[in-house]
Amino acid sequence: MGNVASVQKALNFLNIENVISNNSDIINKSGYIILPGVGSFSQGMNNLKKYGLVDLLTDQVINKKKPFLGICLGMQLLAQKGSEPHETNGMGWIKGEVIKINTKEKRIPHLGWNSVNVINSRYFSDLTSLDFYFIHSYHLKVKDPALVSSTVNYGIDIVSSVQKENIFGTQFHPEKSQSAGLQLLKSFFEINA
Amino acid sequence: MLKIRVIPVLTFNGIGLVKTKQFSNPRMLGNPIQAAKVFNARGVDELVFIDILASKQKRKINLPIIQDVIKECYMPVGIGGGISDLWDINDLLRIGADKVIVKSKALINPEFVKEASDFFGSQCITIAVDAKKHGDGYKIYNNLGVDIDVIDFVRMVEDSGAGELIVNAVDNDGMMNGFDCQLIRLVETASKLPLIALGGGGDLHHYKELFTNTNVEAVGSSSIFSFTQFTPLDIKKELQAIGKPVRLC
Repeated sequence: MGNVASVQKALNFLNIENVISNNSDIINKSGYIILPGVGSFSQGMNNLKKYGLVDLLTDQVINKKKPFLGICLGMQLLAQKGSEPHETNGMGWIKGEVIKINTKEKRIPHLGWNSVNVINSRYFSDLTSLDFYFIHSYHLKVKDPALVSSTVNYGIDIVSSVQKENIFGTQFHPEKSQSAGLQLLKSFFEINA
Repeated sequence: MLKIRVIPVLTFNGIGLVKTKQFSNPRMLGNPIQAAKVFNARGVDELVFIDILASKQKRKINLPIIQDVIKECYMPVGIGGGISDLWDINDLLRIGADKVIVKSKALINPEFVKEASDFFGSQCITIAVDAKKHGDGYKIYNNLGVDIDVIDFVRMVEDSGAGELIVNAVDNDGMMNGFDCQLIRLVETASKLPLIALGGGGDLHHYKELFTNTNVEAVGSSSIFSFTQFTPLDIKKELQAIGKPVRLC
């Protein structure tokens, strides 16, 4: 569910061959895996379980080290647990949890274009802009600061991307972030080529 | 820092783009796909597209046209008009809408906002708040015979899990004589949701006034982009000059 159509459109624009699928043969044969997603954490996990994707993705990404990009909820699901709308276990690839943004003076959801502070430049070098589009009420708190690849300030510092070996996740939507987002997607494929 | 969003609003009558004045006298403007193409090339922050007659004419929104509009957009798109069940929302999200904009159904059945936000997440449920002056306050403008104060409606949809409000001053719609800052202040005080101010932008100084007199973080406009030479970038440069954070590209 959710933003798969937008991600596909961005990949087509970049001339990157792609298919939307939950089929294990197709996922096993793929060169890269992108997990987009909007909606609640528990619903996202339910969907992955329903199609048997948790074990499959874990095998592909953790054991076989296939390049992986999680977008928005697709990044949050990498955590050990989430709380939307109730406590639910995530895939647990990244130590940490997903909690509601708690800031008195800011409006929730965090919605709009915000500039990220790059910590690990692996995918962010050569971008013409660091403004990306965010739309979320929950955020990922990461245990190991070394995995935080960028942050964004919205009253508090929020993790805007994580990176661990072959795993990359963005809280923002590169597929909705005009040229900066398209450049970032392109560098994900080029760097992992 | 979160940037001010300047959002072109396309209003559609089922056939072509139109621009109303005070929600009547629609004037034909042309092709929505062409308009989306132009705004995408200009790198706008977001686009809003509303079929203003779908609910009134009891028809569904035209999905093939919406799909062609969204195809042109590499930025977020909010789509509204004629949404009456969860399937309508699902159809729009599936073809790449980021947010759906609901009004009539929220007035008829407030429970719908809760169902929709529980299922799809608050972040994609935007509520259109069409406010018409009534005595000292404002009421929601509608053809459904629902009599509800703007603030009561806003609190109700916020409690039901809505993610954003588009606050449209009906009396200022299409008049190009400035925003209703009083209305925007009223709603931003009553609600913690992000909101888009709409209705009345006709000249650059109107935007300065809006962002000086309110704390709003997003503005929508239609007439100024159709009937003047100004672009979203011109508005953003004006806002930058008064110290507001904007995304220039």
